[in-house]
Order: sequence, then C-alpha cells, then structure tokens
Amino acid sequence: MSKKIRSKPLKVVCIFIIVLPFLSGCWDRIEIEERATVLAIGIDKTEIEEEEEEMVTHLKDDSAKEKYGDYKVTVQIAVPGRLPLGPGTGMGGGGDERPVWILESKGHTMSDAITNLQQEISSRIFLGHLRIIVVSEEVAREGLREIGDYLRRNSEVRRAAWLIVSKEDASKYVKAQPELERVAAIYLLATMDQAVRLGKLPNNFIGTFWSTLSSKGQDPYLPYVELKKEDNIKISGLAYFKNDQMVGATTPIQIGHFMGIMQMNPGGYKVLVTVPDVNETVVFESVQRKSKLRIDIKDGIPHARVQVYIEGDITESSNDYKITTTKVIEQLEDVLPKDANVRYSKLVKETQEAGSDIFGFGEYVRAKHPTYWNTQVKTRERWNELYKEMPVDINVTYNFRRIGMKAR
Amino acid sequence: MEYPRQITVIQATIVIFSSVIGVGVLALPHIVVTMGDTGSPFVTFLGMCIAFIGLAFLTLLGMRFPNDSIVHYSEKLIGKWLASIGSITIISFYAILTALTSREFGEVVITAVLRETPLEVTVIVMLLIASLASRNGITVFTYIHHFYFPFILFPALLIVVLSLKNANILYLQPIFGNTQENMLQGTLTVAALFQGYFIFTLVIPHMRRPERAMIASIFGTLLSGGLYILIVIASLSVFGPEELKVLLWPTLELAKMTSLPGQILERLDAAFLAIWVTAVFTTLLSTYTLTIHLLSKLFRLRDHKMLSFFLLPLVFVLAMLPKNILHMYEVIEIVGRLGLLITVVYPLLLFVIALVRKKRGDVNVKKNKEQTS
Repeated sequence: MSKKIRSKPLKVVCIFIIVLPFLSGCWDRIEIEERATVLAIGIDKTEIEEEEEEMVTHLKDDSAKEKYGDYKVTVQIAVPGRLPLGPGTGMGGGGDERPVWILESKGHTMSDAITNLQQEISSRIFLGHLRIIVVSEEVAREGLREIGDYLRRNSEVRRAAWLIVSKEDASKYVKAQPELERVAAIYLLATMDQAVRLGKLPNNFIGTFWSTLSSKGQDPYLPYVELKKEDNIKISGLAYFKNDQMVGATTPIQIGHFMGIMQMNPGGYKVLVTVPDVNETVVFESVQRKSKLRIDIKDGIPHARVQVYIEGDITESSNDYKITTTKVIEQLEDVLPKDANVRYSKLVKETQEAGSDIFGFGEYVRAKHPTYWNTQVKTRERWNELYKEMPVDINVTYNFRRIGMKAR
Repeated sequence: MEYPRQITVIQATIVIFSSVIGVGVLALPHIVVTMGDTGSPFVTFLGMCIAFIGLAFLTLLGMRFPNDSIVHYSEKLIGKWLASIGSITIISFYAILTALTSREFGEVVITAVLRETPLEVTVIVMLLIASLASRNGITVFTYIHHFYFPFILFPALLIVVLSLKNANILYLQPIFGNTQENMLQGTLTVAALFQGYFIFTLVIPHMRRPERAMIASIFGTLLSGGLYILIVIASLSVFGPEELKVLLWPTLELAKMTSLPGQILERLDAAFLAIWVTAVFTTLLSTYTLTIHLLSKLFRLRDHKMLSFFLLPLVFVLAMLPKNILHMYEVIEIVGRLGLLITVVYPLLLFVIALVRKKRGDVNVKKNKEQTS
C-alpha cells in the first residue's frame, strides 16, 4: 500500500492538486475599462462648508480633520476608447466627444479628497499614468509636505511626473482645452518637456523636488506657470521654496541665470545687450553653460565664488551695428559680463532675502567642509540663516562663437 | 557520493554571488544610509570585508576537509555533542533566514505590485518553488544558479549605469559621512546581508578542485559586494542621504525614475522587479537548500528530498510571525546581527581549533579526481 502511494504518477497528481488553487487567476487583474486612469491633477485651496462635508473618511464633527487645510482636487481621467492615438483629427469616437472626463472633489487632505472622489465614480482610480500635478500658488505658499506625503506613499505615482506651481487656480489648467492637443494633460506635459529641451527650464521633476526638499543644504524650486488667453501656458519663472513653503518666484530670464550658475545645459535664453559707445543693441543667445563653484570658510562664514562661462551666438543686431571684426566681438565680450554680474547677483540676492538656497550652496559646504558643517550648521534652519548673510561673488565670462548666416 | 565532483571555480563564484544578492538589494541603501550617512559606500565596503572574513575561514576549513561539510568536520573538531549544537543552530538560523527572506519578498510584492493578492499566497508560492528546486542535488543546484546569473547581474548593472544620469556628486561627499557614530552598527548590518555565502560549505565537497576554492570565495565576495556598493553609490548619488532616509525601498524608486533612452521604457521598475524576483528565488533556494541538506547530513539521512516538503510548513509559519512591515525589519536586523556569530565567529573558532589540534580531512580527493577525469 505504502509503496503504491509513493509511485511517481500519483506524486505528480498530488503536486498538481496543490498547485491548482494558485493557477485559478490573478487577484490583481483589472481590465483597462475598469480603471480610472488619472492623467493630471490640479490642487487648490478651498473652504469646506458644514453642509458640504462628504463624510467618507470621517464624520461631521470629527476633530481629526482640523489639523489640515482643505483642498479642492480636480482630476483629468482618460476615457477609454476616446483617447486619440496619434496626431490625427476627427478620428475614432467622433470629434465632439472629449477624450477626458474632468471631475472635482474636496477634502481635508489629499487622501481624503481622492477617497471622496473614489466614492463617486465606479472605476478604481489609477495613478500610474499621472504625468502632471499642478498646485496653485496659494497651496504652494502654505507648504507641500502634506500633499507630498500622500503621493509618496502611493506606489503607483511616478517619480518622473511634473509638479508645477500655477499663478491662477490649478483647476483651470486641468480644465483647459488647448488647440494643439486634444488632451490638456498631454499638452501641459509637452510644454514642460519641450521647455527642457529648449533650455528654458531645468529638468526638475517631482522626484528631484522631493530629494532637494529632504536634503539639508538645498531648498527646492519648481516651475512657475501662467495661463494665457488661448489656454496656452507661459513658463513665467521658478517658484523657490523655503523648506516646503513657496516664498517667491523669479522672472523667466532669471531661470537662465539660475541655470547658468547651476551649469545646466543646453542654454536657451537670449539677452539684449546695449553696446555703450555706439548705442546700438545686439541679441546674444547662450548655447552652452559652464560654471565653477568654490566655497571657502573665512572667519567662520562661508564665502562663495562662482565663475560662470557662457558660450553662445549673436542672433540679431540693430540696423547700423556691424559685426565685422574680432575686435567688435571682444568689445562685446567686455560689455556683457558687467551687465551679467549685476543680474546674476540680483537673483542670488533675492533668494538670500527669502532665505531660500535653491543653488545648493549648503550641500557644497556639507560635502566639502564637513567639520564646519558638523560644528556650525547641522540643520536646515541654521543653514537658511547662514545663507542670508553669506557673501556670494559671481563672475560671468562670455564667449561669442558664431554670428549666423549674415556676414556683417 | 551521489555525484562526481564537477563544479568549477567559476560556477562556485556564481553560486556565492547569487546566494548573496537577494531581497536585501531593495532596502540596502536605506538601511545603510540611516547608519552611515554619506559614508554608506564605505560602510558597505567594510561590511563586505567582515563578511569576507567569515567566508575565508569557511573556505579554509572546506579546503582542509575537502570531502565534508561543516556538520561533519565540526564533529571531528569539537566532538559530537558540541558540534551538533552548533549545527542545529546553523540549521535553525537558515530556516529563519529563509522565512524572513520570503516574508520580505511578500511585503514588497504586496505594497508595490500585487496589492490585492494575499500576502500568504505570494510567500507560499515562493517557498514552494524554492522547496521544489531544492530537491535536486548540489550539482543541479549549481546549474540553476549558473543559468540565472546573467539575468541578475547585467540588468542590475544597466539600471545602475542609466540612473547615474541624475546623479549629484556632492551627495557622495564627505566619503566617510557627516557622522561616524553608527558606522560599526551599519557595517555589521551590511555584513549580515552577505550571509547567503554559507552555502559554500555544501559546494566545496563537490568542487572539481577544492584547493582552488579560495579563488571562488574572493571573486564571489568581490562580485556581490561590488554590486552592492554600486547600488548604494547609485541611489545615494541620485537621492542624497536625507532623501534615502525617507525611502523604504530606494532601489525600486531608482528603477522607477530611470528610463531607457529613446522613450522605449519610461520606467524600469517592472523590469527591475522581474530581475529581483529571480534574485530572491536564488537566495531562497540557497538558504533553503542549506537548511535541508545540513539537516539530512546531521541525521545521517541518505536522502534530503523528504525534508524539503517536511520543513515547508514550519518555514511558512515562521514567515508569518512578524506583525507588520516595521516589526519585520526590526526582526531582520536583530536576526542578521546575531547570525554573524554563526556565520563569522563559528567558522573562525573551528579553524583555530583545527590548527591547534592539527586535524585534517582525508586525502581521498585525489583519488576522486582521478576517477572523474
């Protein structure tokens, strides 16, 4: 008897029986129609009235909610089958139907708002394709840690998504209907990606924002955008933060200055330069940026020296001004830095006044002067104080390479 | 002897490599950085050195007794009773290690990938596969490792290289860290990640030329330690020390933000998890094989196959014991550190005793070799 049980075929059958329950299917199977794929999220500040309470995660008079501010979350959900594949127009599903569904919900926290939303729609909310998160300036000024916490715990959210700060209500961006793309989220994404490629914006996705937010010696920054009349989007600067709170925004050209100091390429910004003796103007476009940073500790205070090298071309000169000899170029190379030193320093001054070290000078001190850091600084708060007082010398050098197709 | 000696030095190296590289890959940068700050790569290196000390003595012992595993030669060295206590400790330690490895695997899967699938299922499936595979002899066991080796090493290297695009060198400095207080703890914790190498005691008796076992152990440590250091460097330089302290599984996040150039794959975490499952499987296979083989040797059984399913429920129950994910990591850390006593100190003691008592294994190796060649 016992010998028979040990026979090989029976053993195989036994194994099959054990394995069978595991082959019955996948617990996590979700059909694509059954998931609500969120493409973009807009986050605004709001006040939730008594009668508006959703009571999904809490009851009306729970005290737990009081610790948080109230958010309004606007999401763009892709409608299966209606997303245009490729650039063609008037295809599949008809022209009038919108490929996305825009929904709003309110909540005391991010998680609360998303849970409220989930209570209202049939399919499971899926954040794996979330590409862009817009927060309004109001939210950013109050701090992004709360929002970040939810997004970071969720394993579906990409680290390569964009987080941007909007001047107006964030919901407007999610609702926008730009001409170029049928899906607003994709247009927003394209705006950001192209700006990076054109050298107009540092490649600063949500992951780098979180990393810099965590680090002790650098404050984070985010793209700052403005909505224009035709639902197009202007990149109007960098929002800079002190800890997780936005404290100010730069102008667009200052993004160029920032990228110069940070040695971020390719160069993309153009500057108007007046040549003093002749009172004419030329336009210079940066192509390549390089910079060297050195911080020394003098009398217990860090002292930064930044040497920036900018290489570029001339793209325009006003009517009478002729660029014919290297001498003229040399003259220009003399003029430009004087201007630039002032402008660059202005940006640093502004961030210093706000106490927001977006350049990461603090990280440099921590890395290269560990003893000083360990004895004098140690925390982010202390560094923010030190940064305000820290002298920063900036020296910009320009090199002109090409003058375009015109010989003079 | 069930099989002729046919494991080469390269295969032995590979066995060490894939036994060491396992679940630890995901959490390693986070664990090290909480103790080593920016000095993490250095701490990892130190951990590797400590692990190597253990492996070196294990190898020396193996070369001295080329036909026996640790269960048998320890009996010759310190007597039957003491040795069986030692062996039972080793066996139960590796049973626990198998359990914890499968549990950690289950936790990652349930958090990051299959959120609806019950934890028990992922754990038991993994254990079942490992126990099925462990029914083979050591030679087949080696071939399994050999087969999976390229699938673990090269994709891992690819992810490291691609992720360096976002690196910031400042995050790696100062290279000894801003604080050195917890460096020793960090070193021990890292060393504990290498404990899979103990499988080498089973491999040596099957090696074609056991006298060259030391070469395998050196390269095995360098290869696995090197990969660990690379992963730590990559995640540290991309995330920075402070961010690493916030991320539970930095390597997974690293894969998540790394993309193949040319918009082929925008996030590599799915690909990475596939590799990682293989790596976990090879580690589980090693620790489980070690447990049941040593157990069968201890009881002088002719066959280990019966044990492979007999121990399975026990290991499964052990795996279910930690209450939650944080508790699990605490247990792993404690068990890992205590394990160093078994994997580093015990071989060292045995070797010293072997030197003092001038004991050597029988020299039948040569005869064996002549038979096979």
